[in-house]
Amino acid sequence: MIHHIVRKEFADMIRDGRFRWSAILVGSLLLVSLAHGWVQARKASQEHAAAQATAREHWETQGEKNPHSAAHYGVYAFKPRLALSFVDEGVDPFTGTSVWLEAHRQNDFLLRPAQDATAAQRIGALTAAQVLQHLVPLLIILLTFGAFASERERGTLRQLLATGVGWKELALGKALGASGALALLLVPAAVAGAAALVVASPGPTASPLARGAVLAGAYLAYFVVFLALSLAVSARARSSRTALVFLLAVWVVNGLVAPRVAVDLSKRVYATPSAFEFARTVEREMADGVEDIAPPDRDESTKRLLAEYGVERVEDLPINAVGVYLQESEEFSNRIFDRNYGALWDAFRRQGILQEALAAAAPSIAVRTLSMGLAGTDVEQHRHFAEAAETYRRDLMRQMNGDMTENSLTGDFSYAASAELWESVPPLEYEAPPLGWVLGNRILSLAVLGAWLAGAVLLASAQVRRAEVA
Amino acid sequence: MTESHESNTGAAPLLEARGLSKDYGDTRALDSLDLAIAPGEVYCLLGPNGAGKTTTINLFLGFVAPSAGQALVAGLNVSTHDRESKRRLAYIPEQVMLYRNLSGIENLEYFAALGGQGSLGRERLVEILVEAGLDGEAAGRRVSTYSKGMRQKVGIAIAIAKQADALLLDEPTSGLDPTASSEFSALVERLRNRGVAVLMATHDLFRAKDTGTRVGIMHYGRLVTELSTAEVGHADLERIYLEHVSDNGGPR
Repeated sequence: MIHHIVRKEFADMIRDGRFRWSAILVGSLLLVSLAHGWVQARKASQEHAAAQATAREHWETQGEKNPHSAAHYGVYAFKPRLALSFVDEGVDPFTGTSVWLEAHRQNDFLLRPAQDATAAQRIGALTAAQVLQHLVPLLIILLTFGAFASERERGTLRQLLATGVGWKELALGKALGASGALALLLVPAAVAGAAALVVASPGPTASPLARGAVLAGAYLAYFVVFLALSLAVSARARSSRTALVFLLAVWVVNGLVAPRVAVDLSKRVYATPSAFEFARTVEREMADGVEDIAPPDRDESTKRLLAEYGVERVEDLPINAVGVYLQESEEFSNRIFDRNYGALWDAFRRQGILQEALAAAAPSIAVRTLSMGLAGTDVEQHRHFAEAAETYRRDLMRQMNGDMTENSLTGDFSYAASAELWESVPPLEYEAPPLGWVLGNRILSLAVLGAWLAGAVLLASAQVRRAEVA
Repeated sequence: MTESHESNTGAAPLLEARGLSKDYGDTRALDSLDLAIAPGEVYCLLGPNGAGKTTTINLFLGFVAPSAGQALVAGLNVSTHDRESKRRLAYIPEQVMLYRNLSGIENLEYFAALGGQGSLGRERLVEILVEAGLDGEAAGRRVSTYSKGMRQKVGIAIAIAKQADALLLDEPTSGLDPTASSEFSALVERLRNRGVAVLMATHDLFRAKDTGTRVGIMHYGRLVTELSTAEVGHADLERIYLEHVSDNGGPR
């Protein structure tokens, strides 16, 4: 019996001009945003690869110079874009995707499009994730708000129920019929997305297809939440107008109000300093030290080396004491960075957890978090890359200072290393975290979305059971 | 399942009310209705608005639960055998409402399938629609182009397709022109001749006398009198009706 309901609902919907136009509009926006995102992601990847190659070439061909000068010369590191980033660019436009690695400093990331965009550009930049998170639920509401309420108003519900069909079959048939109509726009988009994934896949380590499958599952669950909520409201609403107004209010709270409130609340509970305050704090601590982290004392360092090598004069040391001191300075600054960046990352992490918990009030927060995580564009994966880049910077500095220490003497400013040293430094090989790592970080969002799914289906089931004919 | 009483024709009734009552808050909409309609009987419920006619139909459809008593369809208690009892029933409301984006054939196919008839096939569906009086060309058109009379015919077609034992009609000729009303009565007559038990709520005394085999007059939720249409003329029916529905009972 259900297949008759599904077929009728599907036919009724696709013959409805309002559905056709809204589906064409949303479907077009989805395909265009996917295509635009893919082109942008591919372009950015190519630009990053070219820039990375150029940066490497500059590093290797910088000529003979003192290793510490080379450390100041530095290198650029570019965060690789995962294949799914074309679906959801996440925090990348705000955090940046490249960083200059140099001596003594842990620099901020560069290439932040949001920084350079006008307000209109920021609002107008519609991504596939935004279409999926906001416009598809709106379409689901428009398709299903009248599922029961309109039938009740028109009088067809009495005739339907008089045939002997049950509420449960009717609700399931309507849900599947609406799903079929939605599939007309979502399946082509999913196929296009999968094709783009295969073409744009950066390699097996980022497991793009597995990430894509989980992402599709998360969005599917999100759509079912809206479908079930819409049917629940339609089953109980006095009129189709009441159902529509109520569901639109839910849509506004879910998509516009709750995410904003969640961000503001998390910032209030776990406050983070402004960029200016943070830079000033780091600068102050670098100058004076803090608590048990004291700046290295050059005289003490020299005395220790003299004792260690059993000589009385610096000139008699078999190594360059300046190189040792520079490395000690690096170690000191690293501790200052770890202390400040560690606190900052922890605050971001706590903000993120609170936001994920607040998804209990709006499923859009859960699906947005999962979407960014699976696309590789969330704060956690930005941190993952930032820490890999910082580890690389520290290794690089250690190697430069070590070479200077080992191959020159104190006061010998003429020492210059050759290309052999620069070439011996391996390029940064960053491996994006595996799917399990991502899901482990996003377990709360998965649980909350799962709870929304179960809750919405149970609610729909209960409301349909309590629904009245007239 | 409950054992049924026999109706006044001797056959087991297909529609039966036993002490059937319905209260809405403090208002008694239906008061201890006892009724039995046998196969091939057309029972017309007459009465002013609020007399309890539609409540009676809603109780047989299981759309509302009785406050007391039982509604039985082919011996099945509607309250405990909701789906089985509905399978034996067909229902045509005052205004048959259909799906505007579907054709007459598609509407019939849908309602028939939900009524347990499975997929009947296009040819059979057109046959049924033509039998119900719909033009064969109109059957394939979208219902959004149909008049009320055409929609009522689709309603009859749904009842025919369902091969129901009993038919519930809630003011089915209201708003139809005399020709369409007459055609509708002829269709009900055909169903009656097939042994279908019909319960029709109506304000139309002429149609009740013409189509019905028995008439029950309701007032303030009570069945105040029952008549055999063979025993009264049109004028008598009108007189008796007016005598009983003059406002002397008052709501309980």
